[in-house]
Amino acid sequence: MLDLIERKAENDDAEEQGLTWVDIIDTHDNIGRFTRAMWIAVFLLAIFNSAQLVTVVNGFDVGPVQNAVVALVATWNDQMEKNKLNEPVAMVRDVMQELRGVTWSSLSDASDRGASVLRGPLDQGRG
Amino acid sequence: MLFPTLTFGIFFLIVFSVSWSMRWIPETRKWFLVGASYFFYGWWDWRFMFLLFGTTLFNYLGGLALGRTEGSATRKVIVAVTVGVDLAVLAFFKYYDFFLTSLDTILTTLGLHRDLPFMEVILPIGISFFTFQGISYVVDVYRGHVNAEHSLLDVLLFKSFFPQLVAGPIVRAADFMPQLHQPPRLTRDHVAVGVVLVLSGLFKKMVIANYLATDLVDPIFFDPTAVGPLDLLVGIYGYAVQIYCDFSGYSDIAIGIAALLGYQFLPNFNQPYRAASLQDFWRRWHISLSTWLRDYLYIPLGGNRHGEVARYRNLFLTMFLGGLWHGAAWTFIFWGSFHGAMLGVEQWARKKLNEFAPVHDEEPGIFSKLGDFAWHVVGVFVTFHLVCFAWIFFRSDSFSTAASYLAGFFDWSADNSYNTPFLVGMIALAMVFQFTPRNLGRELALAIRGLPFPALGLLLGVGLLAIWAIAPEGVAPFIYFQF
Repeated sequence: MLDLIERKAENDDAEEQGLTWVDIIDTHDNIGRFTRAMWIAVFLLAIFNSAQLVTVVNGFDVGPVQNAVVALVATWNDQMEKNKLNEPVAMVRDVMQELRGVTWSSLSDASDRGASVLRGPLDQGRG
Repeated sequence: MLFPTLTFGIFFLIVFSVSWSMRWIPETRKWFLVGASYFFYGWWDWRFMFLLFGTTLFNYLGGLALGRTEGSATRKVIVAVTVGVDLAVLAFFKYYDFFLTSLDTILTTLGLHRDLPFMEVILPIGISFFTFQGISYVVDVYRGHVNAEHSLLDVLLFKSFFPQLVAGPIVRAADFMPQLHQPPRLTRDHVAVGVVLVLSGLFKKMVIANYLATDLVDPIFFDPTAVGPLDLLVGIYGYAVQIYCDFSGYSDIAIGIAALLGYQFLPNFNQPYRAASLQDFWRRWHISLSTWLRDYLYIPLGGNRHGEVARYRNLFLTMFLGGLWHGAAWTFIFWGSFHGAMLGVEQWARKKLNEFAPVHDEEPGIFSKLGDFAWHVVGVFVTFHLVCFAWIFFRSDSFSTAASYLAGFFDWSADNSYNTPFLVGMIALAMVFQFTPRNLGRELALAIRGLPFPALGLLLGVGLLAIWAIAPEGVAPFIYFQF
């Protein structure tokens, strides 16, 4: 995969040459593109994972600025919870907890139940 | 400051934005990146920033002196002094207590009691990595592989660049310095490769490695006598996967972050558990270290140039010292020595096999191809289990723990309660990715390189959110931070 970002041989001694206009515009565009993409990611995380923000700011020292940030983040998190925006993450965490709790015996029971559904009910009148 | 934390996320956001805004003034951008890297390093313990700076300055001066000296004898003295000081710093911080404890044990065994000058030496994070990087720079200048760098700024950035500073990959001056001489550039490919590597690295570390560590490996290695043989077997498979996902995850994130800042590092892992021999394994595992050991230890020792016995000795010595590099403990030394011995046995067996049944040039038939495939499968199986056996010593805190672990395979009375379908599934999933086509990541990068920014942002945001939601709470430190 890293061959994709390897500089071409003819550009290796570009020390004196600098970048071409195409490179300069390309770099400018990609910085903007990735910066905007990062802000979208930050926005999504702040909305759907606001509880994590609370965990981080709770580690701050006591002080006027820190207290204001803590209060702001707590309010933000309350709003996200009120609007049930924390639920997707909580739901995924619950599913993961369930998966972690599955044992070999419960898996075996589940597969037996699945097999009996596929097999259908036994006909008592035959055989 | 760990990669998979919000703190690092904020740090990276600032570094990315500010460093790229300085792209028109490359020298200032480099100073900013050096400052950011020292800040990143000082986050753990600010006092060691001086150690990092001091060793870098020494390597820089050593390189300059080599560049200005013609005489062969003087150059030898310069390189010996510079490398010697680097190794002395490493030895003091990493091995001082270990050597004194070992010496004390020997003296006590011999009945000679002495008051040795014990000290509580704090291990500076990443010292093994940046020391090896410094040595490679000086030796490369001595060998003429790179020119002595006149800019202290470039050497400072080369040695302290934060993505690789604390746990590698060990970057070579010949690969990195030329990039510092060129104007920074960010292409769609840099972004695509960066995003794929950062997301895959976070998934490996935060999901697979963390679940296996907390639910399986840590409790089993805490007391191997309390668990049954099946748990021990799954436990060591779990550790093999955990250490791979932990370390290759770190390397992926480091390489991805470097790509997003416009720099290229070489790959550090290449599906190591698909290796069909130990030699092949070491070409795929921690590539930057194994190539470093080859170029700066194995070849200077004589490599394979002085006959068979010397070659096996050099292999053993290289791996022995490679084990010692990992940590100041006899278990690491055993781990390295085991690999060294087995590499020798493997080479000897291959030589004998080639003498017994020489390879023919003609096109192999169908049975011959089937036979080769079967040999390959057996090779993968045996190599993986030899590596797993050695991992028991690598992970154990002492030989007695490793011995208990191995003895536990013969005790069928204990319960097997740790291996659950979830964890076995996690191990199986990770192992499947050892055998997927090699260019899977490349294809993913090519698929996302054309995405417009809203789709890229959505992919990044949903990817991070999903990893955060799936992963267990808390972030365990990376295993290789201790080295």
